[in-house]
Amino acid sequence: MLRSSVGPDRRAAVRAATARGGRGPAAVTLSTAVITTMIAALAACGGVGSGGGGERSGGGASLTTMGFGLPDEIATVRVDAFKKANPGIALQINEGQFDEQAFLSAVAAGSPPDVVYLGRDRIGSYAARGAIQPLDGCVAEQDVPVGDFYPAAQQQVKYDGKWYGMPEFYNSIVLVVGDKAAKDAGVDPAEIDTSDWERLAELAEKMTRTEGGKIERFGFYPKLPEFLPLWAKANGADILSADGRTSRLDDPKAAEALAYAHRLVEAQGGWTKLKAFTDTFDYFGEGNPFVKDQIGAMLTEQFVVTAMAGTTPDVKITVLPFKDRQGNPVNNVGGNAWVVPKGAKNPDAACAWIKTMTAADTWIAAARARAAKRAQEGKAYTGTYTGNAKADEVIFSEIVKPSGKKPFDDAVKVIRSVQEAGFVVPQSAAAAAEFKKAWEDAATRVLQGEQQPADALERAHTEAQKAIDEATS
Amino acid sequence: MTAAEPVRAPGRAGPARAAAPAPDPAGRGTRKVFFLTVLAAASVIFLYPFVWLVVASLKPRDRTFSDPFLPWPVPFRPENYAAVWDAAPMLAWLVNTVVVGVAAALAVTLSSAFVAFGFAYFRFPGRNLIFGSVLATMMLPAAVTLVPTFLIWNAAGLTGTQVPLWAGNLFGSAFYIFLLRQFLLGVPRYVFEAARVDGASYLDLFRRIALPLSRPALIIAFVFELKASWFDLMKPLIYLQDPALYTLPRGLKAVVDQFYQGGDPKWEIVLAASVVTTLPLVVVFFLGQRYFVQGIATTGRR
Amino acid sequence: MRRLRPETRWAYVFLLPWLIGLVVFQAGPMLASLVLSFTRYDLIGAPEFAGTANYARMLEDPRVSRAIGNTVVYTLLHVPLAIAFALALALVLNRVTGRAAGAFRTIFYLPSMTPYVAVGVLFLFLLNGQAGMVNQFLALFGIEGPQWTTDPDWILMGIVLMSLWNLGSTTIILFAALRNVPRELSEAAMIDGAGTWQRFRAVTLPMISSALFFVVIINTIASLQMFDQVYTMFFGNQVAQQSYGDAALFYVVYLFQQAFQFLHMGYASALAWVLFLVIAAITLVQVKVGNRLVYYEAEEHAG
Repeated sequence: MLRSSVGPDRRAAVRAATARGGRGPAAVTLSTAVITTMIAALAACGGVGSGGGGERSGGGASLTTMGFGLPDEIATVRVDAFKKANPGIALQINEGQFDEQAFLSAVAAGSPPDVVYLGRDRIGSYAARGAIQPLDGCVAEQDVPVGDFYPAAQQQVKYDGKWYGMPEFYNSIVLVVGDKAAKDAGVDPAEIDTSDWERLAELAEKMTRTEGGKIERFGFYPKLPEFLPLWAKANGADILSADGRTSRLDDPKAAEALAYAHRLVEAQGGWTKLKAFTDTFDYFGEGNPFVKDQIGAMLTEQFVVTAMAGTTPDVKITVLPFKDRQGNPVNNVGGNAWVVPKGAKNPDAACAWIKTMTAADTWIAAARARAAKRAQEGKAYTGTYTGNAKADEVIFSEIVKPSGKKPFDDAVKVIRSVQEAGFVVPQSAAAAAEFKKAWEDAATRVLQGEQQPADALERAHTEAQKAIDEATS
Repeated sequence: MTAAEPVRAPGRAGPARAAAPAPDPAGRGTRKVFFLTVLAAASVIFLYPFVWLVVASLKPRDRTFSDPFLPWPVPFRPENYAAVWDAAPMLAWLVNTVVVGVAAALAVTLSSAFVAFGFAYFRFPGRNLIFGSVLATMMLPAAVTLVPTFLIWNAAGLTGTQVPLWAGNLFGSAFYIFLLRQFLLGVPRYVFEAARVDGASYLDLFRRIALPLSRPALIIAFVFELKASWFDLMKPLIYLQDPALYTLPRGLKAVVDQFYQGGDPKWEIVLAASVVTTLPLVVVFFLGQRYFVQGIATTGRR
Repeated sequence: MRRLRPETRWAYVFLLPWLIGLVVFQAGPMLASLVLSFTRYDLIGAPEFAGTANYARMLEDPRVSRAIGNTVVYTLLHVPLAIAFALALALVLNRVTGRAAGAFRTIFYLPSMTPYVAVGVLFLFLLNGQAGMVNQFLALFGIEGPQWTTDPDWILMGIVLMSLWNLGSTTIILFAALRNVPRELSEAAMIDGAGTWQRFRAVTLPMISSALFFVVIINTIASLQMFDQVYTMFFGNQVAQQSYGDAALFYVVYLFQQAFQFLHMGYASALAWVLFLVIAAITLVQVKVGNRLVYYEAEEHAG
C-alpha cells in the first residue's frame, strides 16, 4: 500500500529532524534543526520565482504516472503489455483521480510526473500555459499511428496545430430510457424522439413521479449543467468558434436551448430537489437508478450502459440516440488523454508508454481479456469504446458477440452508430478552467433560479472571452 | 481572570462554591431535573450525528439513507471496513497523519517553550516590542500569507513533500509562546536563581527547570497542535501531490471527490473512511481530555 | 557593534527562532504578498508588473462581491447564534455540578474533535434535501424541509446549521468563565431581591464579559476564514464545482481557487491583502467597542 518510493525516507527525515536524541539536550537538537531550516529557507528566499527545484538524478530509467488507476483488466492488461515491452523501466503508478491543483503545483515546482492522464477538454489551457509539452517529436520518432484515432478525438488532443496528447476512451452520449417509466406514461420506449421538444416536455412530466413533495422518479434528466454544449448543438449553436478564440455563448440559440432544458427541469419539480435526488443515485451499483425506477430517461455517457451490462444484466432499458431538432443524431464526445508535462524527467519512456497504452493491439488484447472475464461470469460484454477507431473495428466485429440480452445488444448498435456524429468543443487557451467554468456556472445559476438564461449566458460570454483573451495574449 | 494567572485545574472554582447553602432544597431538586433533561436533550443532538455516521458506515450502499433513526445497522455489513482499505491507502494516510502531527506538535511545543523561556526569564531592551509582535501575529489570518509561503517552499524544492506541513512550526507559534510564558511567569524566580548560583547555564535552566516545570502547559500545546495538524486540509491540499503522502483529511477529501461527487458513488466507502479519520482523534481526546478542557478554558482567560 | 551583556545575548538566542519565523514566515510573506498583488504571476512564467489592475479587477468581479456577501451573511448568522447557544448550554451546565457537568461537557466537545473534512462529509449526507436525516426528521412533524445542499437560498443556512454542531470550545470557555463568578455576588444580589434575569444582567454578564468578548472575536475571525467544511462539500471536484455555482462561495475558498486552481498568484495576493485589512479593521473595532463594554475587575478595585 505504501506505493511511494520517496515516502519512507522523507518520513525518516521528519523523524530525524524532530527526534529528541537520548540525553542530548533538546535545545541543542532544536537549535540545530532551527538553523538548518533557516539556512534552507533563506537560501530559498533568494530564489523566489525562479521555480525549478532540485532535480534528483535518476539512475536507470523510471516512469511516474499521475491520474491513472488500475481498477480493472482494461487497465492492467495494457500496463502489463508496457512492462513486458519495456522491462528496464521502473514504473511507478500514483493511483488516484487527476487533481488539477496537485498537477499544476507539481509542474510549477519542477517535479512533475512523466505522464499524466486527464480529461481531453483541459489540454488547450495547459498547452497555452506551457504546462504540457507538444508530442510531435514523440509521434515522429516512435511512429505513433495517430491516424488510427477517431477524427473528433484527434481534434481534441491538438492545440495550435500540434499534438499535445493521445486519446484513450471515446465516450459518446446516448439517451437511456427505463422501459417501465415509458410504459407508465403510455409510450413505447423505442418510439421516444428527442427532436420534438414539445412532446419531449410532455413526456418528461408524464414520466415524473412525486409523492408529497418528494421526488420518486425523475422523468427526463437533461444532465445540465454538464451537457449544455450538447443541448446548444441540438439547437444548432456552437458555444465556441472553431479556432477556439471567440466565445459564442451569447448565441440566442444557446440561450433558447438552456431555457428549454431549464423549463423541463422546472416542470419536474425544480433543480434543487432533483439535484438532491440524483445525489442519492448509485449509478454503478446493483441498486442503480434504472433498477430502482428512479429515472424515466436520462442523457448519459455510454459507460453507464456498459457498466449495467456487468452489474444488472436483466435491467429493462432502451438505449436511443439523442437527436437534434432536425432529427439527426448529435453526440458530444469526450474522454481522457495522456499528456507529458513540461519538465518531465523521462519524456522518451513517457512517449513509449503513451504509444503502448493507446495502440490498437493493446486495446484489442484488453478487450479480449474483458470479454473472457465477462463470459466466465456469465455476463454480457458490450464492448470497450476506445479512441482508436482501428481497435474498435476489431473489437466490435470479432470480440463483441450478441449476448442474447436484447437491450444491450441494441445498445451496442446505437452507440456505434452515434460515434460518427461525435463533435467536440474546440480547444481554447482557457478551455480547462475559465471557459468551462463560465458556462457551467451560468447554467447552474439558471437552474438555481438566480438568473434568466440569456442574462446568464451573456455574463458567461463576457467572462469567457476575457479569460480567452488574457490567456492568448 | 488576570493574565498572569497560571493554568489551573478546571474543576476548582472559587472557594465559596462548596460552602454555598441551598436556600430552597425542594425547588432546587425539580430545577435540577429540568436542567439535566435539557442537557440530555442537547447531548442527543450532539451525539446522534456520530451514531448515524457509524451506523450508516456499517450498512450496504442501498440502505445508506434508509431508517435514519434506527441506531443500529440493518443489515449489518462490517465488510465495508475491509473494502475501504482496498479502495484507498488509508493505512498509509493514517501513518502519515501521525508522523506529520507528531512532528508538527513536537516542533511547535519545544520551539515555543524555548522562546517563551526567553520572554519569561530575561529582561532586555526591546522585550515588550518583540512580545508585542507575538501578540500581533496571533490575529494574523493564515490566508494572508498563503501565496508567499507557498512560493518559499516551492523555491526550496520542498513542495510535494510533507516538510511544509510541519517545519514552519520550528519557529514557535504565537499562541503557545503566550501560553507557556504565562505559565513560566508563575514559577518563582528564586528557583532559577538558585540553579544559577549552582553554576547552571541558561540552557540548563531551560532544560532542567523550565521544561519539566511547564509539563502541563507543554502537553496542552502538544495536544492542541496535534489536533490542529490532524484537522488541516489546506496545507496538504497545497503541498501534497502524491496520494501516497496524503494525510487523512486530504485523503478523505480525495475519497469524497471520487466516491461521492465523482460520479462513482460508493457511500459506504466514504462513510467508513470518515470514521477511520475521526476515531483516532476521539481516542486521543479521551486520553488527554483534561488538557484539552484546561487549554481551551485558558484561552478565554486573557 | 555595541557589546551586549551576556545575559542579553542569551535572551536573543532564546528569541532567535521567533525572530527568524517572524521575518521568514510572517513579515516577509506579508510584504511579498503586497508586492505580488501588483503583478500578474502564474508560477510557470515570470511575474509581470500589473499596477493596480488586480485591485481594479476585484471591484468588478461579481464572484468577489458574491463571496464577500456569503461570508458576511454566514458570519452574522453564525457568531450570534453560536454564542447564544453556547452560553445557554454553559449556563445550564453551571447549574448542575460534579460528574454530570463533566460528562456533558465531554459530550458537547466531542463534535469539535471531528476533523472538518469529516464534518463536511457527514453533513453532506445529513442535509441531503431528498433523503437526508435532517429532512426526514422534519418530515416526522409534517414539515417539508428545504433543499439544504442544492437550493442557493438555503445552502448558507445549511452551513450555519452544520457550524452549530461545533459549539464545544465556545461552551467550555464560557463555562469556565461562569465557574469563576464568585457565588457570594449572586447570592448577595438575591438577598437584595434581584430576580433571575436581573441577577444575570447585573452580576453574571459583567463578570463573564471578557470571556464573551473573546469568543466573539475568535468566532468572527474563524467565520471570516471559513474554508475546510465548505471546500469539502462544494468544491475541489469537477462535478461538485459545476453543480453548486457560487451559492457556497466563501472568500477564502475563492482566494484558494484563484491561487492554486487558476494560478493567479497576483490576484490571489490582492484578495489576501484585502482580507487582512478587513480582519484587522474588524478586530480593531471589536477591541475598541469591547474596551467600553467589558468589565475589568482590576479597574473596579482601583476605583
